[in-house]
Amino acid sequence: MVDFTNIDLDQLFGFSDDSNPLLMLVWILPIIIFIFYGQRIQLQVTSGEIKKAIKKLDAYRIEARTELIDHVKKNMNPSEDPTKKIDRFLDYFTIMPVDMDPAGIVGKVRHTVRAREDYSRNHVKSISPETDELELTKVITLLEIATSLHMIFKIVNHMYLTAKKQNNYPLILPLQMILPFIMEEAEAITKAIPSFRMGQPVGDGIGPMVVGKMMLDTKKEIISFQTVFAEKEFEERKLFLLKAEGPGSTVGRPGDAVEIIVAKNKPDIIIMVDAALKMEGEDSAITAQGFGAAIGGIGTERFQIEEIATKNNIPIFAIVIKQSIKDAITLMSKDISNQAENVRSQIYEMIRDNTKPGQSILLIGVGNTIGVPQ
Amino acid sequence: MFSKEKIIVAYTIEKCKACEMERKRNFKQGDYLFAETSKCDSCEGVMQIEKIFGESIEK
Repeated sequence: MVDFTNIDLDQLFGFSDDSNPLLMLVWILPIIIFIFYGQRIQLQVTSGEIKKAIKKLDAYRIEARTELIDHVKKNMNPSEDPTKKIDRFLDYFTIMPVDMDPAGIVGKVRHTVRAREDYSRNHVKSISPETDELELTKVITLLEIATSLHMIFKIVNHMYLTAKKQNNYPLILPLQMILPFIMEEAEAITKAIPSFRMGQPVGDGIGPMVVGKMMLDTKKEIISFQTVFAEKEFEERKLFLLKAEGPGSTVGRPGDAVEIIVAKNKPDIIIMVDAALKMEGEDSAITAQGFGAAIGGIGTERFQIEEIATKNNIPIFAIVIKQSIKDAITLMSKDISNQAENVRSQIYEMIRDNTKPGQSILLIGVGNTIGVPQ
Repeated sequence: MFSKEKIIVAYTIEKCKACEMERKRNFKQGDYLFAETSKCDSCEGVMQIEKIFGESIEK
């Protein structure tokens, strides 16, 4: 019988003797393994984390697709099952114009994006032609959400599988670095679904909310696609008010509208009110003032507004309400909605400070106008 | 030690256009901003939706 209670560890591992071969093996073997297989081991560890994230992304895209199909069936009363049509659309892609010769690229991008928007609208309308405009805009947004999540999943999965296939650790590093940002965005997009289904205002709608209230009891007209215009007097000044047409889910086409307004009655200043992404460490729902066109998106609307303002020498002022990406696309938070009155008084103060009686001001409420009429 | 699950509840704030009395209730499907909803309980004025927002509560 071996007496396990009487083993001398110093003697077994030779801690007191540097030439013990067993101890040398314990130290040298992992070093050799890490030299030859280090990258593969790191790949395996990183793969585990990425696999979990991909599983989540897959769940998000399935949820978005299911919610979309369910919403279409409940609210559009289609004559036939819309699943096939929706599935076909999820895989549609947009090829951006070549940018080797960038002159005139904005026009090309605008054309491509608008062609896609028009196609989406017609495609959704073909599911049930009697659907009203409000419902149509909701379904188009839900379709955009489902398409975005589908595309994010496909790209991340492709990057992961390529690195695995090639057994190439450096290839997976960029993915590992950007994955937390992608996951944050994907989670925010998924959480946006209920708000758009129910027609509730989102954080991005604070600009239209402020301007929409100022438009109440005025004569309104559609000035460009899904964009509303109204005129109002304020302390002997003329106010031109502009926002996307609510309460549907749209951002309108403010670029086209500004072109028309400036051609007809050149305003002395332009004020843009929009939601802006807050920096890490900043509180949500704080406001800030600045200069320049406050409008997000792909950049074509901003380009158009900047070009018109520059040609006509019109200064652009901006008021932004800071928020996270999640706050911007999900149900408006109490803090953000509480800022509406404060922003309105900042606008009036800005007008008094920068214009004289008799001058005119173009005020644009930028953002998605879901749940926010005028 | 364990953080409680938070859920977002949507609320609608109605404000009387005449006496400015405010009323908070749960959001109902079909609510949208500036819609005139009902008569004011205190002055017979018209209640208008002033705000729609979400508040998180711990489950």
